[in-house]
Amino acid sequence: MGARVLKVARAVDWVMRLRRPAAVLVVLTLLLALPAGAAGPIAHREVLPNGIVLLVAERPAVPIVVVRTFAHAGAVLDPPDRAGLANLTGALLTRGTAKHTGPQLDSAIEFVGGSLSAGAGRDGLGASLAVLKKDLGLGLDLLAEVLLTPTFPPDELKRKVAQIQAAIKRSEEDPGTVAGRALARLVFPRHPYGVPVEGTIESVGKLTRDDVVRFHGGHVRPDTTVVAVVGAVTVDDARREVLARLGGWKAPAEPPASVPTVAAGGPPQTETIEKDLTQATIVLGRQAIRQTDPDYFPLTVASYVLGGGSASRLYSRVREEGGLAYAVYSHVSPAKYGASFSVSAQTRTAEVPKVIEIMREELARMTRDPVTERELKLAKDYLIGSFPLRLDTSAKVADFVVAVEEQGLGLDYADRYKERVAKVTAADVQRVAAKYFAPDSFNRVVVGAPPKP
Amino acid sequence: MRAFLVALFLLVLAAGGAAAQSGERVLAATLENGLRVLLQEDHRSPIVSFQMWYRVGSRNEARGATGIAHFLEHMMFKGTPTHGQGQFARLVEQNGGQDNAFTSQDVTSYYVNIAADRIDLVIELESDRMHNLTLDAKDIASEREVVIEERRTRTEDDPGGFLGEEVSSIAFRSHPYGAPIIGFMEDIKRITPEEIRAFYKTYYMPSNAILVAVGDFKAPEVLAKIRAKFGKIPRGATPPPVLAVEPPQNGERRVVVAKQAQLPIVYVGYHVPNQTSADAFPLEMLSTILSEGRASRLYKRLVYERQLALEAGGDYNYFSQDPNLFWFWATPMPGQTAEAMEKALLAEMETLKKEPVTDEELQRAKNQVEATFVFQEDSVHRRAALLARFELIGVYADKDRFLERLRAVTAADVQRVARAYFADDRKNVGVLLPRP
Repeated sequence: MGARVLKVARAVDWVMRLRRPAAVLVVLTLLLALPAGAAGPIAHREVLPNGIVLLVAERPAVPIVVVRTFAHAGAVLDPPDRAGLANLTGALLTRGTAKHTGPQLDSAIEFVGGSLSAGAGRDGLGASLAVLKKDLGLGLDLLAEVLLTPTFPPDELKRKVAQIQAAIKRSEEDPGTVAGRALARLVFPRHPYGVPVEGTIESVGKLTRDDVVRFHGGHVRPDTTVVAVVGAVTVDDARREVLARLGGWKAPAEPPASVPTVAAGGPPQTETIEKDLTQATIVLGRQAIRQTDPDYFPLTVASYVLGGGSASRLYSRVREEGGLAYAVYSHVSPAKYGASFSVSAQTRTAEVPKVIEIMREELARMTRDPVTERELKLAKDYLIGSFPLRLDTSAKVADFVVAVEEQGLGLDYADRYKERVAKVTAADVQRVAAKYFAPDSFNRVVVGAPPKP
Repeated sequence: MRAFLVALFLLVLAAGGAAAQSGERVLAATLENGLRVLLQEDHRSPIVSFQMWYRVGSRNEARGATGIAHFLEHMMFKGTPTHGQGQFARLVEQNGGQDNAFTSQDVTSYYVNIAADRIDLVIELESDRMHNLTLDAKDIASEREVVIEERRTRTEDDPGGFLGEEVSSIAFRSHPYGAPIIGFMEDIKRITPEEIRAFYKTYYMPSNAILVAVGDFKAPEVLAKIRAKFGKIPRGATPPPVLAVEPPQNGERRVVVAKQAQLPIVYVGYHVPNQTSADAFPLEMLSTILSEGRASRLYKRLVYERQLALEAGGDYNYFSQDPNLFWFWATPMPGQTAEAMEKALLAEMETLKKEPVTDEELQRAKNQVEATFVFQEDSVHRRAALLARFELIGVYADKDRFLERLRAVTAADVQRVARAYFADDRKNVGVLLPRP
């Protein structure tokens, strides 16, 4: 066992075979995709003098501390001809600072059994630290260095560009990733959400050190940064330690960049991507709504009834009755500037038309007939009752409080979520389904072999 | 570090050697019918992780019926006379629980993570499906198609999964570790309901299972409830032992696969001993030295410094019931060949044989494993799984001795095991060449 096996899953064969796959993430986000929150005050919140929002959740029982930082410097801020810039900038943060080279940073944190990583997603750029309590000082020193004084050494940039390009190339092997990228392009045609966070092999190849330095200097700034400290630490200690290292961080004079909320998508498109595979990946997707829209809660319930769990309509028809797929899901994916709703499945090539037909029928049925009381109750009981499981580790709590803060939902979101879900009626579900589930409003992507004539 | 370790050690002693750090003691019991029960209170969150671990996996399968353990795992969600089709998942979900299961070479494990006040429901469901599974022929027929789709996703259409299966099959000529956990497609299609029922009857019984729960409950109360529900299930006949012993290998074995892929993949698997050997500890250290983190040796040399690989690592399965493989894997960067990748990987092994690992590498690896054990404590799910893992190969309390043994490993030990086991007579190489 040891450290690796506990953390990393690998392709080699003695690893496990799950009855159900982990949910397929259609649209990639860095820290988010968290639909829910917790009961009671989940974290202490305060704004530091330089604008940093500090969130602290004390979990004293286990002597570890998890820290997440999140700046509004995600791929949404990539200039149109610089796709992948935020991602490259994030990946380079740990590759050299004013005090340490990349390998020195790696050695320093790993020697104490901790981890420090950085990266960007659609909306944000941030670092993630996990250390034993006794090493919090060291960990925060390194974290502050990578945020404030990265040096972006040219050889590290060249290396990282090659790695990102190689990873993009290899991801073309993965039908889920290929389908997700194509769908994002169709769902968000005129918005950065339609462009892959990692960029393309071509766009990444054109990025320069100047681009990275400018992006970091302009967008990674205290007044758009959230710092969450969760674990065996008190609010006072966390404040003092964070202030000591990030308190002198000054925001640039110019105001933070603004990002346009997504515009309505165009007319729905269909795309087929041919690959020599035995199975086809089918994804239907369209724009939806964020948590700030009151209809988000009925939408979440609707999605759960349609394709959320093992008792959902799609799971029952496609998997349990039809034996047509191992994985079949529906999924609401909210982000800061827009949201998507998607339905996905993987099935043998010959059954693609049948599975698409079932998906369309079930979408249409949601718009036509109210869900049964039994379905409604199951969905609500699950969404509310499973709540504590979403917050049972320091890492999950840190991810949650960051997501709630950066999406502007408020730390009482947890309680409101439960209240709102509890109030959803069958009529609400049908009304929202009528708005968002009309089968003809979905883009469609199929990745796989062409059907045999 | 030292002060911390001493504190940790004292806590372990205080807890009767049962648990570390945040841990309450483990209440361990064996029911009259042989069911092993491990309960650990953890009151930080109002939840429980309830896990059933059956001592059966692909290791227990016969040729011609590979994948039957995994197939049965799927069927465990299909219902009993008391809880019919789909009821299990429905009941868990409507009580806010999350459940899943996995099958490995050695075990089949089921878990439900749920609000702690719903533990009675889980005890009811798990005790019911241990003994009363319906295994209806019609359900088996439709689930067969689901398993086939799962195999397509994981193996047929996944270059890494496909290559791993090929390497296992050349590495083991006699032992069932040579067969894929999910089973060969031909076997999945062929296996009959009678065979699945017989397999269930042979392996699913109290004396072949470990029940572990960690969470917000009172252990003696839960034990009484477990006794009441599981105690009624008959012990059953002891399952047949796995007799196969893999014969020694002579010279290297090699398999080349051509498949649609973007980049080549290289796997190398060496036959190594399992945890019954004292060499397991240096091997375990070695895999951490090679693969844990960006400072680890294979990442640093092959990915970072030489930029030959997109990723590279090595892995040892300490918990394997029978001797298994030490796996190495690497994906060359575009423009690099599989051949050069393999050469570079093997050169690293030669270096391990020639020169001892540095003190820094060794100490870092020890610190990483120690820290990992502390990080685990943050999750009731992972705490329960770790207890089960150690119980499966001995007794849960070995968890603490494991760390002591790892701390004692020296650089000379690591060099010795590298020399002993990374030899051509133990080597199995798999290369995947991309076909456009």
